[in-house]
Amino acid sequence: MSDCEKTNYIGKSVQRVDVYEKATGKAKYFEDYQVQYRDLLHVKVLRSPHAHAKIVSIDASAAEALPGVATVVKGSDPDIAWADIPYASSYYGNPAKDEVIWAGQAVVAVAAESIEIAEQALELVKVVYEELPYVVDQREAFKADAVSVTSPELGIAAGYGGVQPEGPNVMGSYKLTHGDVEKAFAEADVIVEEEYQAGKKSTSQIECNGSIVEYHEGGGVTIITNGCGVHGVVKNHILTMYPQLSSNKVRVIQPVTGGSFGNRLFPLVEPLAVLMALRTKRTVSYVLTRKEMYTSSPSNWPVYTKLKLGAKKDGTIIAEKLELVEDAGAQIRGYFDGRLSSSGLMCVYNIPNVQCDSYAVRTNTMPCAPYRGLGCAESEWAMENLIDVLAEKLDMDPLEIRLKNILKKGETNPYGEKVTSIGLGRCLEAVADAINIDEPCQQDGGPWKYGKGIAAAGKQNTPLGRAEADCLVHSDGSIELLVSCDEQGMGVQTTLRQMAATEFQIDIEKVKVTRADTAITPYDNFGASSRTTYTTGNAVIIACQDAIDQLKEAAGRKVGLAKKQVTIKNGKAYFVGSNIESIDIADLYEPFSFFTQQTWGLLKGTPVRGRGVFCPAPAVEWFGPGHEDGRTPRMWNWYQYSAFGAEVAVNEETGQIKILKLMSTADTGNPINPKLVEGQIDGGVIMALGFSIMDHHMFQDGKMMNPNMSDYRLPTTLETPLQKNFMRAILPDPLPDGPFNAKGMAESIMIPVGPAIAAAIYQAIGVRPTEMPMTAERVLKLIKDKEASDAK
Amino acid sequence: MKFNAYYEPKTVEECVQILSEQGSDVKMLAGGTDLVIRLRSRALKPKTVVSLNAIPELSEVSLKEDGLYIGAMARLMDVSKSELLTGAWKIVKTGAGNVSSMQVRNIATLGGNSCNASPSADTVPGLVVSGAIANIVGKNGNRSVLLEEFFTGPGKTVLADDEMLVSFKIPKYADKTGAVYKKYSIRGDTDIAIIGVAGKVTLNAQDEVVDVKIALGGVAPTVIRVPKAEALLSGKKLTDQLIEEAAVIASESCTPITDARATKEYRKEMVKVWVRHVLKDAAQEAQKN
Ligand SMILES: Cc1cc2nc3c(=O)[nH]c(=O)nc-3n(C[C@H](O)[C@H](O)[C@H](O)COP(=O)(O)OP(=O)(O)OC[C@H]3O[C@@H](n4cnc5c(N)ncnc54)[C@H](O)[C@@H]3O)c2cc1C
Repeated sequence: MSDCEKTNYIGKSVQRVDVYEKATGKAKYFEDYQVQYRDLLHVKVLRSPHAHAKIVSIDASAAEALPGVATVVKGSDPDIAWADIPYASSYYGNPAKDEVIWAGQAVVAVAAESIEIAEQALELVKVVYEELPYVVDQREAFKADAVSVTSPELGIAAGYGGVQPEGPNVMGSYKLTHGDVEKAFAEADVIVEEEYQAGKKSTSQIECNGSIVEYHEGGGVTIITNGCGVHGVVKNHILTMYPQLSSNKVRVIQPVTGGSFGNRLFPLVEPLAVLMALRTKRTVSYVLTRKEMYTSSPSNWPVYTKLKLGAKKDGTIIAEKLELVEDAGAQIRGYFDGRLSSSGLMCVYNIPNVQCDSYAVRTNTMPCAPYRGLGCAESEWAMENLIDVLAEKLDMDPLEIRLKNILKKGETNPYGEKVTSIGLGRCLEAVADAINIDEPCQQDGGPWKYGKGIAAAGKQNTPLGRAEADCLVHSDGSIELLVSCDEQGMGVQTTLRQMAATEFQIDIEKVKVTRADTAITPYDNFGASSRTTYTTGNAVIIACQDAIDQLKEAAGRKVGLAKKQVTIKNGKAYFVGSNIESIDIADLYEPFSFFTQQTWGLLKGTPVRGRGVFCPAPAVEWFGPGHEDGRTPRMWNWYQYSAFGAEVAVNEETGQIKILKLMSTADTGNPINPKLVEGQIDGGVIMALGFSIMDHHMFQDGKMMNPNMSDYRLPTTLETPLQKNFMRAILPDPLPDGPFNAKGMAESIMIPVGPAIAAAIYQAIGVRPTEMPMTAERVLKLIKDKEASDAK
Repeated sequence: MKFNAYYEPKTVEECVQILSEQGSDVKMLAGGTDLVIRLRSRALKPKTVVSLNAIPELSEVSLKEDGLYIGAMARLMDVSKSELLTGAWKIVKTGAGNVSSMQVRNIATLGGNSCNASPSADTVPGLVVSGAIANIVGKNGNRSVLLEEFFTGPGKTVLADDEMLVSFKIPKYADKTGAVYKKYSIRGDTDIAIIGVAGKVTLNAQDEVVDVKIALGGVAPTVIRVPKAEALLSGKKLTDQLIEEAAVIASESCTPITDARATKEYRKEMVKVWVRHVLKDAAQEAQKN
C-alpha cells in the first residue's frame, strides 16, 4: 500500500471516536454536570390540562411562600422575553400568558432547592381556566368555518406573515404550477386518485431534553445543554430573547448528547432556565420528564395529502395534482406553508405537469418541529402508495413503473432544478432483487398471510446555514479540529476526523476533534437536514487546506522555496528543488526561548490555525412578483435517495403486522465511513418501522392519551426481523460539490419504509392502507370492511 | 417520592399490627413495580410504607392435601419456573411468565399482581379459572375469599385497611382438565395486555364438557367470568361451531373501554378471536392431563 493509500481514510470504516467512553459509561452527558454545582436549583413546570382555554387567574402565592422555592415564573411576569414571541402562547417553552392552546403547554414554572419541593409547590398553584372550543383534527382545523386554534380577541388571527387567510387556522401556503395539468389529465389513459394521512409522532430519544444554566457574577451565563446548535440555535435565540445579555456574556456548551432527530432544533428548555438563573443569580437545572417529552416537546408535523396521478398506457406518468396540508400544531409563528412536506412529491419522479397546492394549518396539539425526514415520509407515503395503485391498473410491476419514471441525472425536476446526483435506480433494483419481488410468497393456510412490496424515496437538503471550522496544527505535528456541529450520535466527529487525516495524509490517530463550546469553537448553525457531513465537512476541508497552505509557506521559508515547491504529508514537509528532502512538521516550530519568543515564525506551543467557512449556494427566489408559478432553478440544495423492500406477514384475525425480511438501500453520495452509514440505515429503518406500524399520538378530549413509553409503542428488537433478514446496502452516486463527493443520508431511509409495507400488506391480504401508522386495529378494520363488501 | 415512616416487619402478625395502627395512610410494598411508579408520580402519597420483603413465610410455595399454596410474595419469575405447577396448574405459570420482561418478573410478586387489581393483570384470569382462593389476614383474624370475588373495581379489592393477602390456594383439578391463558398485546409480553383470556375445560370419557370456566382480562372493571358462554358449553362436545358461539357470547358480554392500548370495539373483536383459540387449545390440553 502506498503512503497515500494508507492515509486515505475515505470509504473506510474507521472506529468511532466516542465508542469507549459511551460503552463504559464514562461519557459525560449534561445531567452528569449537575454534581458540580452545590447551589443547584431544580425546575418543574405546571402544564395546561386543556387543549384550549383562557387563563382567568393564577394564584401562586402559596407556592412562592413554600420554603425552598427560589422563584416562580408566570407568563404575565414583566421579565419574560416576549419580544421575540409577541403572542401570549409560547413556542419556546416559557409559560403562557392569557391563553393556553394545547394540553401540555407551560403555565407556571417553579425553581426550588429540590425536585420534590418544586413538585410540591406546583400542587399549591391555583389556576382558573375558562375552557374554549378546540380542534385537534387537522382536516377539521383546515375548514373555512373551523374552530379557531387561538382566540381572535386574544392574539394574532390567521394570516401572519402576509399570507392571505383561507380559514382561521391556515398559516401559509405554497403553490406550484408546472406545465398544464388539466390538459395532461385529459390526455392520460389511466387516472388514479386517493387521500392519505400520516400521523403525529415523537422522536422519543432516550435522553430527555434539558440544560444546566450557570450564573456568573456580573450577569453572564454558561449553558450546558443537549439542545442543538450551540451557536446557531441556542446562543442566537438567547441573545435575541434577553437583550441584557450581550454576546460575550453567553457561553453555550454541548457535552455528549443523545439523539435529537429535529426535536431539539428550537430552544425549549434553555430560555426558561436562563430567565430563572438571571432572577435567582444561581445555577438552574431544567430537565423534561418523559411525559413532557411527549406533551411539551415538538412532534413531527402530520400530513394530509390528496393526490391524483395520470399516466399513459406505457406507464409514463404525465400529470400530478396534489393538495397537501401539514399540521404545524399549536404554533403562532413559523415558516410553515406546506412547502417542506410537498418537496417530497417533487424530487423523485420526472413528471412534466404538476399542480401543487400545499398549506400549513394550526391545531390545538403539541407544536411541531422537523422530525427526521422533514415531512417527506409523511407526503411520499401518498405518492408511493398511489404509484402502486397505478402500477396495478396499468398491469406493470412496481419496479418497472418506478424505473421508468424516476428522475435521471441532468434532468430537471418539477421545481426547475437540475438534478446533480441521483442513484435511485440502482437502489430500487437492489431492494427488488433482495426480496425476490417477482416470486410470490408461500401461503401456509393459517391466519398469517404473506406479501412483499417495494418503494422509493427522495429528500432534499437545506441550502440554509453556514459552517465554520478551525484546523489547528499543533507544534507536535498533531491536528485538532475546532467545530460546533452537533454530535447527536450519528458519528460526525469520526467522519470529520477522517476527512482531515486524508487532507493532511497523516495517521488518523494524530487528529482530534474539539466540539461545540461557543467560547472555543467557531460558528455552525445546527445538525439537521442531513447537512453536517456536507456543510461542516466542506468547512473542515477548507480549514485543512488553509492550514496546509500556511505550513507550506512556513516550511518553504525555512529552506528558501516558494510554497508551491512544498508538499505536506505523513507529518512532514517535502521539498522539490532543495537539497533538503523533508522536515518534520514538528521541527518547523521554534523551541521556546525567552529572547526569541517575539520574533516571526512558528513557535512551539502555538498552533498554526487554518480557517474554513462554508455556505451552500443560496436558494433562488420562488415567491413574489414574477414567480407566480412557484418554480425556481434552486429551491433546495442536493437530494438524497433511498429504496426499501419488505416481506411481511399480516394476521387476518388481529390485523397485526410482522416484518419478516427487509432491505434498505441508500444513495449517500460517496460514503465517508460505510459502517456509520449502515448504522444510520439500521437505526432509521427501525425508527420508521415504528411510525409505520405502531407509534403515534392518540387523543381523547383534546389530550394526548399515551404520553409514556408503555403506551407510546416504539418498536423493540422483537419487532425487527432476524439479523440475516435485515439487509442494507449503500449505492452511491457521488455528489460533485460534497466533501470527497459525499452527501448526507440520515433522512431518506425513513421515507420508503411505510409505503413498501403497505404494498406488501396489499399483496398479502388485498387491502390498501391509506393511514399511517398501519396499526393492527386499522388494518383489521380494512380487512373487515373488505369482507363486508366482498360478501355483498 | 417522600413518606414519613418505613417499616420492615418480620412476621405477618407484626405487619398486621402496623397496618391496624396506621389506618388508611399506609401502603404495602411487595415488589414495588406498581407501587413505586405511583409514589414517584405522586398519584399516591401514603404517610407510611410497609415492606413485606422481610417476611420469609410469604414467599413459600407448597403442595398440600387440599391443593397448592403460593405465598403472596412469590416472585413472578419463580412462579413462572415452578416445577410444582404441572398439568392444568400450568396456566398460572403461563400468566406469571407473560408479565412484562425478565427484569420486572424478577421483583414483581404474584400477590402484588392481584392486590394491584388491574383489570389487565396477567396472572389473574388463570388463577380465577383455576378456582384460586385468596387467604387474607387482618387484625380480626383470617378469612378466605374466592379470588373471583376479591376484586371490587379497577384498583379496588375487598381488603380492609388492616388486612393483607398472605397466600393463594389453588384447588386440585380433575382428570382430563386443560387450562390455557393467552395474552394479546401489540409488543408481546413487554406490553400490557389489550385483553387476556383464560379457559379451563374438563372433559369426561366421552369428551363432553363436565366443567368449563372462562375468564377475561382487560374488558371490564375487573377480571370477569362469562357464565352464559360456560352454560352453553356444559355437557356438550366442543365443536368448532359451538366454540364460535361461545366466543360471540363472550364478546357480547364484556364491557371494555377505549384507552391508549385499544378501542372498545377492537377489544370485543379480540375477545372473539382469543376465546376461540383458548377453548380449542384447552380442550386439546385436557386430552393430555
Ligand atoms: C415495566 C412494567 C411492565 C409491566 N407489565 C405488566 C404486564 O405485562 N402484566 C401485568 O399483569 N402487570 C404488569 N406490570 C405491573 C406489575 O409489574 C404487576 O402488577 C406486578 O405483579 C405487581 O407486583 P409487585 O410485587 O411489584 O406489587 P407492588 O407494586 O409492590 O404492589 C402493588 C399493589 O398491591 C399492594 N400489595 C402488594 N402486596 C400485597 C399484599 N400481600 N397484601 C395486600 N396488598 C398488597 C401494594 O400495596 C400496592 O398497592 C408491569 C409493571 C411495569 C413497571
